[in-house]
Amino acid sequence: MDKQQRLKNWEEKTEQSMNRFPERKERFHTSSDIEIQRLYGAEQENYPFESLGLPGEYPYTRGSQPTMYRARFWTMRQYAGFGSAEETNKRFRYLLEQGQTGLSVAFDLPTQIGYDSDHPMARGEVGKVGVAIDSLEDMEALLKDIPLDKVSTSMTINAPASVLLAMYIAVAEKQGIGAEKLSGTIQNDILKEYIARGTYIFPPKPSMRLITDIFAYCQSHVPKWNTISISGYHIREAGANAAQELAFTIANGLAYVDAAIEAGLNIDDFAPRLAFFFNAHNQFFEEVAKFRAARRMWAKLMKEHYGAVNPKSWQLRFHTQTGGSTLTAQQPDNNIVRVTTQALSAVLGGTQSLHTNSRDEALALPTEDSARIALRTQQILAHETGVADTVDPLAGSYYVENLTDELERKANEYIEKIKQMGGAVSAVEQGYMQREIHHTSYETQKRIESGQEIIVGMNKFTMDNEPQPELLRVDPELGEKQKEKLKLLKSDRDQNRVSAQLEMLRSAAKGPGNLMPVILECVKSYCTVGEICGVLREEFGEYTGV
Amino acid sequence: MKKTIRVLIAKPGLDGHDRGALVISQALRDYGMEVIYTGLRQTPEQIAAAAVQEDVDAIGLSCLSGAHNELFPEVMRLLLERGAEDIIVVGGGVIPWEDIPFLESKGIKKVFTPGTPTIETAKFIEKAVYERDGISSATSKATPPERIDHIGIAVSSLDESLPFYVNQLGLTLEAIEEVPSQKVKVAFLKIGDTRLELLEAMSVDSPIAQFIEKRGHGVHHVALGVTNIQERINELKAGGIKMIQETPVIGAGGAQVAFMHPSSTHKVLFELCEKSKKEEA
Repeated sequence: MDKQQRLKNWEEKTEQSMNRFPERKERFHTSSDIEIQRLYGAEQENYPFESLGLPGEYPYTRGSQPTMYRARFWTMRQYAGFGSAEETNKRFRYLLEQGQTGLSVAFDLPTQIGYDSDHPMARGEVGKVGVAIDSLEDMEALLKDIPLDKVSTSMTINAPASVLLAMYIAVAEKQGIGAEKLSGTIQNDILKEYIARGTYIFPPKPSMRLITDIFAYCQSHVPKWNTISISGYHIREAGANAAQELAFTIANGLAYVDAAIEAGLNIDDFAPRLAFFFNAHNQFFEEVAKFRAARRMWAKLMKEHYGAVNPKSWQLRFHTQTGGSTLTAQQPDNNIVRVTTQALSAVLGGTQSLHTNSRDEALALPTEDSARIALRTQQILAHETGVADTVDPLAGSYYVENLTDELERKANEYIEKIKQMGGAVSAVEQGYMQREIHHTSYETQKRIESGQEIIVGMNKFTMDNEPQPELLRVDPELGEKQKEKLKLLKSDRDQNRVSAQLEMLRSAAKGPGNLMPVILECVKSYCTVGEICGVLREEFGEYTGV
Repeated sequence: MKKTIRVLIAKPGLDGHDRGALVISQALRDYGMEVIYTGLRQTPEQIAAAAVQEDVDAIGLSCLSGAHNELFPEVMRLLLERGAEDIIVVGGGVIPWEDIPFLESKGIKKVFTPGTPTIETAKFIEKAVYERDGISSATSKATPPERIDHIGIAVSSLDESLPFYVNQLGLTLEAIEEVPSQKVKVAFLKIGDTRLELLEAMSVDSPIAQFIEKRGHGVHHVALGVTNIQERINELKAGGIKMIQETPVIGAGGAQVAFMHPSSTHKVLFELCEKSKKEEA
């Protein structure tokens, strides 16, 4: 197709899409009244159509939609949750009132690792890094008075993702909302748990089965749900550099695609619901380039390697969170500035949703004040800076395009190496990614300690006698209260029904069928997260690290 | 002979963030210690048992999930129960500052907050273990002074002396200030990376007035630039050096200073001087 024709087609298509999703303004302009075009560069003689494409077109280097933020800003989605379901529900409703547009649930570690609050391993951890959920009862309290057909909810849950998704579906049903109306995301990315985050339960093989069961179930029952959020975030936090984050995330993505195909699913049926989750660190241009490279790499792999034909299968959509490990405990207000530039890189990289960290996260969970400033940071970027008024404004920068190409090249080298090791699952089992990340993280530490790498306020421009900020405290009695609540639940529920459901789960786990329907019945019978995961632990065994 | 220190790095609770634990493990190894890393999800019982079985000198507990107030003291209780309370226990992670006194009261020797250089942790463990084992700190390496910070010269009048330094020698006058703790007025003249400090007594009971009366004008003291001045003082005291100030006082430019007694230093008056980090940056 000739270039002029291609551009013309794009313009027509964009006009059509604008009938459905109109732009925010009739006319965008700068302070000097210069009109801001939707797209720059594509009219040029030597515009590289092959490597950049047009926004919303293969290979999506310039963005996954044609008008990007001129139509709608990214979703401002702050990860929140602590203490009891009731407290977290209050924080959610506060954030929605403040203009947040999506929810993101943080669960406490016992929930994430499939232990009830009264399990000995849960000691000291109940309600600490997120909300404690033992049964459907807690989930009902967590989502009280939140219209589940209107908000989209992201849940950071991996090993027991099926259980928490089933609870979400069950609560919606009680609100009279069908599963087909629900939108949101479960993280459900077990490979990066083995690599970097640590909340695994089962060994890789049954874990991959749970994941593909979710893919298959959601395809027919919860079609608007993002069934996985393939996460580079934690890989980066564990110490990886940008190229490693990109490479290992995409390698993990390929492993999920392979597993789903092996389970008999059709690529174009599940691939459109795969989502990604990246980190935004300090090196501004490299981060922008990383997001652009990720889109291009995924599109090529899906189209060329797997032969997907639905354009939605080619599109890499992603959530971004600013880099927690870049925050300093010293002079914590400086973190607001770090978060701002990191958030800007995510926006210029075309993120679909964004979490901005709070200034005090190197010290404790964020206070309400800190959480509000973090959200305001996004709102200022969206409403005041004009960075969202044109699509992919850094395209064509010699530097950014070069970084985009280089990151793709470096990441492909890693992906090739992982392929030779038998794919991501096997590379994880051999500890390959773990070692690579540790090596990079230790080198970074040495550079910081020798002063080659400067962290403002920490190894340079330090202050004596810093004032101590106010910090959030989680109710230390919560563990006991949650245990009491659980005891009450266990005496109130229909114990025979619980036992029967758990036995059905056990036999389903032994067989080949999809586990989602039986898990859904378990949660509706008020089986606890610990009971459900307990049965699966007995059937599947536990992963113990490499 | 220096003993090889054995350290157990442990992750109590369910927290999966082990970047810090892995980095500190390797840093302590690079420092020359033997390090055993437990891996994730260890109960306090497992940690205490491993520490006893591996016969370690020290334990480093890492926790970023907020469970430290329950899990760290539990490790201490179990160590005591096993008669292993002589093991030095330190902690790190995301630990709010206000929790530190509580943890220390439970026997945690020190909590290292984010941003602590690994070398500092290594040195702390080494020192604590040596002290516990009665290995005198003289056998551990004393940290030498890093530079001549300045040379002090006693004068009867800054106004009379300064023209020589500024006009004849051509040195730059940096600052003139009063130091109440020494009852002196001083002038700093920069010379390369170091300085000359001219000292004029502000009253008859100033040490400078007494010095001039006894010995006349001239070179008064040599100031050695150090870091961690209190530790340096302790090291010198342990080595039998008599100090005029055993805890630092504020000197010119806001620096922390302490003088060694000339009777211990072959009649030369030496000052230890630590500049605040802010000034150096």
